[in-house]
Amino acid sequence: MLDLSAMAGYLPEFVEGFIITAQVSIISIIGSFIVGLMVALARVSTNKIFNFISLIYVDLFRNIPFIVLIFFGYYGLPEIGIYINAFWTGCLVLSIAVGAYVGETIRAGILGIDKGIVEAARSFGFSKLKLYRKIILPISLTVSVRPLGSVFINLILTTSILSTITLNELTGVSKVIASNTFRPFEVYVFLVLLYGALTFVISGLITLWHKRLNRYLEEGV
Amino acid sequence: MGYNNEGFSIYDLQLLIEGLGVSVWIFLVSTIIGLLLGCFIGLVRFYRIPILAQVLMVLSEFLKNSPVLVQLFLVYFGIPALFAIDISPFQAAVITLSGNTASFVAIIVISSIEAIDKRQLDAARSFAFSEVQIMKCVIFPQSLSLAMPLLVSLAINQLQVTSLISVIGVVDITRVGDIINQRTFEPFIVWPIIGLTYFILAKVIATVGSLLEEKYSAYRMVNKL
Repeated sequence: MLDLSAMAGYLPEFVEGFIITAQVSIISIIGSFIVGLMVALARVSTNKIFNFISLIYVDLFRNIPFIVLIFFGYYGLPEIGIYINAFWTGCLVLSIAVGAYVGETIRAGILGIDKGIVEAARSFGFSKLKLYRKIILPISLTVSVRPLGSVFINLILTTSILSTITLNELTGVSKVIASNTFRPFEVYVFLVLLYGALTFVISGLITLWHKRLNRYLEEGV
Repeated sequence: MGYNNEGFSIYDLQLLIEGLGVSVWIFLVSTIIGLLLGCFIGLVRFYRIPILAQVLMVLSEFLKNSPVLVQLFLVYFGIPALFAIDISPFQAAVITLSGNTASFVAIIVISSIEAIDKRQLDAARSFAFSEVQIMKCVIFPQSLSLAMPLLVSLAINQLQVTSLISVIGVVDITRVGDIINQRTFEPFIVWPIIGLTYFILAKVIATVGSLLEEKYSAYRMVNKL
């Protein structure tokens, strides 16, 4: 029945796949954070046009499946003269799609800020830029470390879908190994355990970080 | 004989409608099975039934924390290879999505039961309510109103997850898009239409969901939650 020995010889391939998954995840986390920050600021701004565009953006990208977006990006980008490989297509589409979720999370953090703090800063003559840079963003980001963490964990799990556009990350590599060894059950069980362990470790680290950042705040921890 | 294989034809629309049917059908079946299974897991964990509760907890944690795509591969390629049985893509899709939905429903069930004031249960017990009566008359109506908004957003999320079954060969909306895209090479027409189809479906679920939410909102209204 269960036979793990066939898989052992493929450890280097697993490691290679893991490295690609890690690279895509890190680049897309940074990318989606930048996109999300812009979306959140547009969502809370008083400018009606920014408001409208960011609302449409969030609504669209949260209601269209990622696999549809990635196929659109993979087949569509070359049509408009952008030739990038599967790796960068994946990073780009992940950043754009997950940016919508990041934006909503940061926005929730901004809306949760005590109005008194903002008024206090205003009465001290803070400019709008300084108000956001020194008061609003630091507070809202520290409070939303944990919700942002679960968005990013979801991002890491979503990278598995990039195997459908020929990227040999963890899942793509496993597909090859499963068909080479004729041991799909063992390979995919191992993969489920691996992703599970990975998200478990990361969410533990996020919780610790969240507690540390919010140690001076009574609520929000 | 000139047979033009490029460009769109009226049959593409027929294909899209068939794919829509498959997506909606799998969504409905897996959501209903997932709801029942999730309630079962939630109750087993709430009443702390030994061994079964722990086993189900570990299982649902791994279902929540691994990609659905990998779970699909495990069911579709892994289980037939290990047990020497045949599983059709459709069966694999329903099994995987039901299990995945169930693991999220279980969390919602537990948290919405535990949100109820424990003194109510004590009061009911002191009136000699049986455990079944407590569940039916005290816990269930209140939990349902707390759980409804969470279940609706889960349903919208699970609709998007159904798109992954195209990878194991179920001809759903996404697979139809892939087929038409491969033939016409018109990604800028095909994928926006497919995306819009999902968008409209999600809006339909959200509308139905908000009606349900309103219907079961009595408890939250009273407690101003």
